[in-house]
Amino acid sequence: MTDPLLQIEDLTVTYGGRSLLGLKTRGVDAVKGANLTIRPGETLGLVGESGSGKSSIANTLLGLVPASSGRMMFDGTDLAQMKDGYPDVVRRKIQAVFQDPYSSLNPSMTVEQIVTEPLKIHATMTRADRRARAAELLRMVNLPETHLPRYPNEFSGGQRQRIAIAAALALQPKLIVLDEPVSALDVSTQNQIINLLYERRDATGMSYLLIAHDLALVHHISDRIAVMYLGHIVEEGPADRVYHQPAHPYTRALLDAVPLLDPERQRARRAARRAAPPTDLPRIAVQGCPYRHRCPRAIDRCRSESPRALAVPGGGTAECHLLEPSGTTPPAQQTTPGAKGPASNTPPRKEPA
Amino acid sequence: MSAPTLSPTTATGTAATTRRRPRWRASTLAVVIPSALVLLTLLICALFAEALSPYDPLQQSLMDALQGPSAKHWLGTDDLGRDVLSRMIHGSRIAVIAAAEATGLAVLIGVPIGLFIGYRGGWWDWITMRAVEAIVSIPGIMVAIVIIAILGSGLHKAMFALGILYSTAFLRLARSVVLTEREEVYVKSARVIGASPRRILIRHIFLNIAPPLIVQVTLTVGAVLLAEAGLSFVGIGVQPPQASWGTMLNTAAAYMELNAFLAVPPGLAIVVTVLAVNLLGDVLRDSIGRGVRLPAATPPRPRSAAIARKGTAPLPAREDDALRVDGLEVMVSPKGGDPVPVVTDMSFRIAKGETLGLVGESGSGKTVTGLALMGLIGAGGRITAGQVTLDGTDLLQLPPSGLEKARGTDIAMVFQDPTTSLNPAYTVGSQISEVLRIKQGLSRRAAWDRTVELIDRVGIPRPAERARAYPHELSGGMAQRIAIARALSCGPKLLIADEPTTALDVTVQQEILDLFRDLQDEMGMAMLFVTHDLAVAADICDRIAVMYCGEVVETAPVEQLFRDPRHPYTAGLLSAMPHGASGTPPLPVIPGAVPTPGHWPTGCRFAPRCAHAAPGCALPVDLTPGQTTTNAERLTRCIRATDLTLEAAQ
Repeated sequence: MTDPLLQIEDLTVTYGGRSLLGLKTRGVDAVKGANLTIRPGETLGLVGESGSGKSSIANTLLGLVPASSGRMMFDGTDLAQMKDGYPDVVRRKIQAVFQDPYSSLNPSMTVEQIVTEPLKIHATMTRADRRARAAELLRMVNLPETHLPRYPNEFSGGQRQRIAIAAALALQPKLIVLDEPVSALDVSTQNQIINLLYERRDATGMSYLLIAHDLALVHHISDRIAVMYLGHIVEEGPADRVYHQPAHPYTRALLDAVPLLDPERQRARRAARRAAPPTDLPRIAVQGCPYRHRCPRAIDRCRSESPRALAVPGGGTAECHLLEPSGTTPPAQQTTPGAKGPASNTPPRKEPA
Repeated sequence: MSAPTLSPTTATGTAATTRRRPRWRASTLAVVIPSALVLLTLLICALFAEALSPYDPLQQSLMDALQGPSAKHWLGTDDLGRDVLSRMIHGSRIAVIAAAEATGLAVLIGVPIGLFIGYRGGWWDWITMRAVEAIVSIPGIMVAIVIIAILGSGLHKAMFALGILYSTAFLRLARSVVLTEREEVYVKSARVIGASPRRILIRHIFLNIAPPLIVQVTLTVGAVLLAEAGLSFVGIGVQPPQASWGTMLNTAAAYMELNAFLAVPPGLAIVVTVLAVNLLGDVLRDSIGRGVRLPAATPPRPRSAAIARKGTAPLPAREDDALRVDGLEVMVSPKGGDPVPVVTDMSFRIAKGETLGLVGESGSGKTVTGLALMGLIGAGGRITAGQVTLDGTDLLQLPPSGLEKARGTDIAMVFQDPTTSLNPAYTVGSQISEVLRIKQGLSRRAAWDRTVELIDRVGIPRPAERARAYPHELSGGMAQRIAIARALSCGPKLLIADEPTTALDVTVQQEILDLFRDLQDEMGMAMLFVTHDLAVAADICDRIAVMYCGEVVETAPVEQLFRDPRHPYTAGLLSAMPHGASGTPPLPVIPGAVPTPGHWPTGCRFAPRCAHAAPGCALPVDLTPGQTTTNAERLTRCIRATDLTLEAAQ
């Protein structure tokens, strides 16, 4: 097994914590003790609802928000120690594509300026070389070279996202953080962008941290999936295992919340869910398991004790007391990252038991 | 007629991107040319004043004092017999120097400091802004006079004073632009590629300051010319006998009764120059960068074909129809463009207690359809054809007051973003009880009791307490529940829900969908559910109408649509859904992109992206039941609907 490209250990990100007058106040932990690993050429899908802390992990990794504690080993350096921004040598290895293609491109710069900006900062190239590289980058994202002198507002959302990808590819990074890259796009355009991203990954061997709220989408294109809830990574594991056999009750709830495309099966599932007592309860727990208020399977222990990450059969871990073995620990099976089992052709998921 | 060929490039929006805006329009030129001529004249006068002036501006001739215009002195003479034209020409030099010095200084001081404190924030910002506030709280001319009192009078010192004074405007402008632009995602992107703060400020943010900056420069040039005149007028700017427009006005004022014309040349020169600078600045601001996107051009389709088309046959009436829409057409007129259709040949009906899903991608016209039913299409939009019948009343025939009465009581709407559809200044309870009091004439007390009841009904715990909350105190899901309670407060016959769960998390979405379903069971209203998400539609709708490019391409009961899609676009959407597709990339795609209104193909609007397109698709297609099926619930706008085998949803 290859060495990880990125290893995040016990990462905590705290916002606030200091008022304007310099007085200490208590901050809000957006991320609490997160552990993640990404190997070269691998895609890690990071899933969660709004406020779960997934974007905070992305921003911290990109050096936009400082880490409060923990380690982020990336390609031999600990990024968490670099409080004053990353040196160029690190910077060029991590790039990003953001959600909103309408505000992520500078409206006053041409496509050529946007795409060559990273080259101007990081590489000494002649003007002609940069221009040639810009044309090459546009070709990589299936846009004609004639778009170079145009401004972003002449393009559709999908085309803008292609331009953003071209700019992210300019420095040949080892890792690209994709923060909801297709959620602002139309259904018929989404898959075009995803296919483009994967064609590029397979051509270059880089890694992706894919942040999204849609587990079904993430499942198709990730090797591993991590699920976040209120700053905790509650479950992590091979994509197929997490999607088909979720170990954490929250992952299960997240999967069941997405309506099925089959109206009859959806009706049956809805009936089963509604038979259960309502869960419109506080979404935050100060002590114990963060999910315990909404969890249909919560036990006494969830109230008093925070669950540890426990190994799940089939690979990965989940933070849930219910996985605690009554006698023996189930062996933590490690499946090869990237392997897609035959299970991916079966219907999306089993009906709730 | 030869078989029309379908080229995939005709409709996929290439027209929008290849046609560039002509650099100048005729109306623009009418502004640019005179303004540029004025400024050019000013500049030439300033540069070649000695050569152009017929006389020495300082040469006195008391014999010729205070003459009117004549062949010898075109603009007459002043109190000391000096030639006014020569003094005007020399005065223009002062004007140019004054404007350049003061404006240049103001920009050089104001912009960099503004950029710096805007980006840096903190103490720097706080201290600088307090100093600026102190300066602007005193009348500007007073500040200038104080600075001049310290430095001594004279043109350059006066302009230095004005430069400092006006720099505060540039400082605040630069700061406010930085404060807004700093939060934009492109600045985040620039940080990620490793741009230094200096580079971000200069290369990325500064470009976006240019348009307001140009306007501010032109305003300042005007203000400086006036201030120079003013300071010279009161005698602390340009010192006599030197000629400047301000000192000339000063003279004119003193001899107003002897020669009123004396005030005209300098006054006119100041007005015309200031006007020319401002007008040119506006044009410059509009044309800078950003390649303004063309408003959708007139569709290059033969009008006769559109008129000859009969449209979809009227749908058969059903007994329990709550809403019937027949042949609805909506046109919008983009700014400075011809009207463009955004919804055409739109027919559907909804029975009491039924939910129709209006599904489509952005630009398909689904939201416009919903707004048209409410009579709420914004300025520039117009319903040009069709009938909308709600419970027997044609809404389009109602006078505006009748429609206003129907809104809220007979038709209600729930919007996408509950945090913006509720007014942040009022408690949520008062926003519901207001509707009850206006529409149902309830007393304050009764309306409030009913409000609490409604809030309880939409599943919010502790309703009496929550009614007193402001929208921002509620989560997105709770706020949407309030919006639903308000929409249903008067028991409407039709509820239009426009993407009501799109802004919510999936676990909240499912709760809101449950709520819609329960309330419909209880109240029996018809529901038009507008969404881009087929999965949500599958969950909540009884029937679905799929929209593409302003028209319905397929309508069917929900089970049939998912099991057996008949239109290639529906099938394409279904296979592109994340959980519809199977396996790893490449995921199934629909090639191309949705064409924007105004660029729709003449025939089948999906044909250029369709894998099954045939020559016959180049002609307009009607929504028909097809040949083999007699089911009136099942309509498809595809000539190959019956001979294609399309993949069903997984």
